[in-house]
Amino acid sequence: MRNGCQQLRFCTEMGGWGMSAIEVRNLNKQYRARVKEEGLRASFRALVRPSYQEIQAVKDISFTVERGEILAFIGPNGAGKSTTIKMLTGILHPTSGEISVLGLDPVKQRKKLSYHIGTVFGQKSQLWFHLPPTDSFTLLGAIYDMDQATLKKRVEELTGMFELGDLLKTPVRKLSLGQRIRCEVAASLLHSPDILFLDEPTIGLDVVVKHKIRELILRMNREQGTTIFLTSHDTGDVEQVCRRAIVIDHGVIILDQPVKKLKYDYLNRKIIAVRFDAEQRLRVPEGVVLEKAGKMGARLSVDTRICPIDEAMRWIISQGGVADLTVEDPPMEEIISTIFTGRPAAG
Amino acid sequence: MKSIRKYFIVLRISLQNAFVYRSNAIGGLLFYTLFIFVFFNLWRAIYQGGEVAGYTLAQMVWYLCITELIVFGCKTGVFNQMNEDVKSGSIAYQLNRPYSYILYQFSNALGSMVFNLLLYGALAIVLGLAIVGPIPGFRLSILPLGLFSAALGMIINFFLMMTLGLTAFRLEENTAFFWIYQKLVFMLGMFIPLEFLPGWLQNIALCLPFSYVAWAPARLIVAFRWDLFRQVVPMQLLWAAVSVILSAGMYRYGVRGIQAHGG
Repeated sequence: MRNGCQQLRFCTEMGGWGMSAIEVRNLNKQYRARVKEEGLRASFRALVRPSYQEIQAVKDISFTVERGEILAFIGPNGAGKSTTIKMLTGILHPTSGEISVLGLDPVKQRKKLSYHIGTVFGQKSQLWFHLPPTDSFTLLGAIYDMDQATLKKRVEELTGMFELGDLLKTPVRKLSLGQRIRCEVAASLLHSPDILFLDEPTIGLDVVVKHKIRELILRMNREQGTTIFLTSHDTGDVEQVCRRAIVIDHGVIILDQPVKKLKYDYLNRKIIAVRFDAEQRLRVPEGVVLEKAGKMGARLSVDTRICPIDEAMRWIISQGGVADLTVEDPPMEEIISTIFTGRPAAG
Repeated sequence: MKSIRKYFIVLRISLQNAFVYRSNAIGGLLFYTLFIFVFFNLWRAIYQGGEVAGYTLAQMVWYLCITELIVFGCKTGVFNQMNEDVKSGSIAYQLNRPYSYILYQFSNALGSMVFNLLLYGALAIVLGLAIVGPIPGFRLSILPLGLFSAALGMIINFFLMMTLGLTAFRLEENTAFFWIYQKLVFMLGMFIPLEFLPGWLQNIALCLPFSYVAWAPARLIVAFRWDLFRQVVPMQLLWAAVSVILSAGMYRYGVRGIQAHGG
């Protein structure tokens, strides 16, 4: 635990007590994983003298999250996202570095911190499988020392928000995945946590449900000021929910920017879909690439550094007979993969 | 006290849950009946009147009813629960909750244990009375003492199973422990009374916890003696305390492992 002097310095650096929701400084996580080679001989050897490999899951990362922020932590598989979130919630010990969540040390003050944070781990369930959600809510309410009246009110509030009405009395094992996840997120919010950690919450859900969950998360943030820390593989989560994105790969932070800027900086591209009312043969100007061409329509990719968007639009319209025209940003996947592969933004 | 209240709610819901799924117990009740019936016939054939090692046939049958009640009827799924929790990863949630994991598991299990105790207890009484009649020399005043000993036996059983189950936090495969433990309890008192074993083995067994799970309470109920009570109950209390401490220690050890190496 930091001594008084250090705490004061930390405090002044940060501009006051309790300003930030999460503070991470030079965080490292290394662990040994058993290495098992193939083959029978290797199996015997492994029995007698197991060999280990040092894996550096998280390398010297630092960032700050303010209260009320919605942050996405994105990266490919094995990047260190889940490891980081586990360290923030106190499940894993860091190898070195400092973490402060709501001013508390997640490892040393895990129980105390748990009263103020909520977690949703996408593939794992926190609801009792054979019981209806209402019983889980009662249990969780008791576990978090909530009194009856507060709990009742909270459950009513969340039931309305998440539209859980009919689901409350159905045993969890009978719910569909989408219904269950709605209950899971509601359960994580029962005790009105200051921060909600979500680790791949929309994995496996269909588009409609994903949209619903994202809306609910946004609403929580808007109405109750809950800080949201989300890890995801799904760029839709990032685009629709988060205002800031931290991109992590191989345990290192490669980017930490507002989502808008991410899109602007990383891809100077626009996608134009055009439909003509007569057959057209297009000869594209410089900077425009014909991605897909049909008889009466085309999908064009415009490198706006070479051909500014207004020029491109003018050119299309000059072809005459434009029946429909849409201009879109490139999909998030592309942006992310560009960042990962380190390719400069190409047209 | 606010902090204890949560465990009572866990217990209540666990009891409710056990009641809702009461039809699951039917299979177990049938198995129990079959077991008693088969061994009654076995012992009757062996006995042919008279006593064996201080047990009449009637006492033998009641002995079995009680040991089976404690070990089989009130068995907990706590061992498998631990494995399940680790494998499914829901341990991540549980470590984040403001409660004692051990107390939580205990109050959760207690719900089904209490329910089963009543159910199988009733069956035990019915079967015993039907097959051999009442326990010779039994007085109602023995019942609370016997139940106390039985409760201690169940506590020892639970916390030892819990300790073994918690090894799931560190080991990938720990079912071997389950089987070894089960067999030891089985052989040292559940299946046949300790008195049937050779003297040297009895002495060893009396230093180990396994016979205090089933043999101690069963012996007290079928052939109560105050000197026996004074001998075994303190040992039960001791082993109960030890098993609780062991499980707490194993939990801390296991959690440190998770925190260092991940789930």
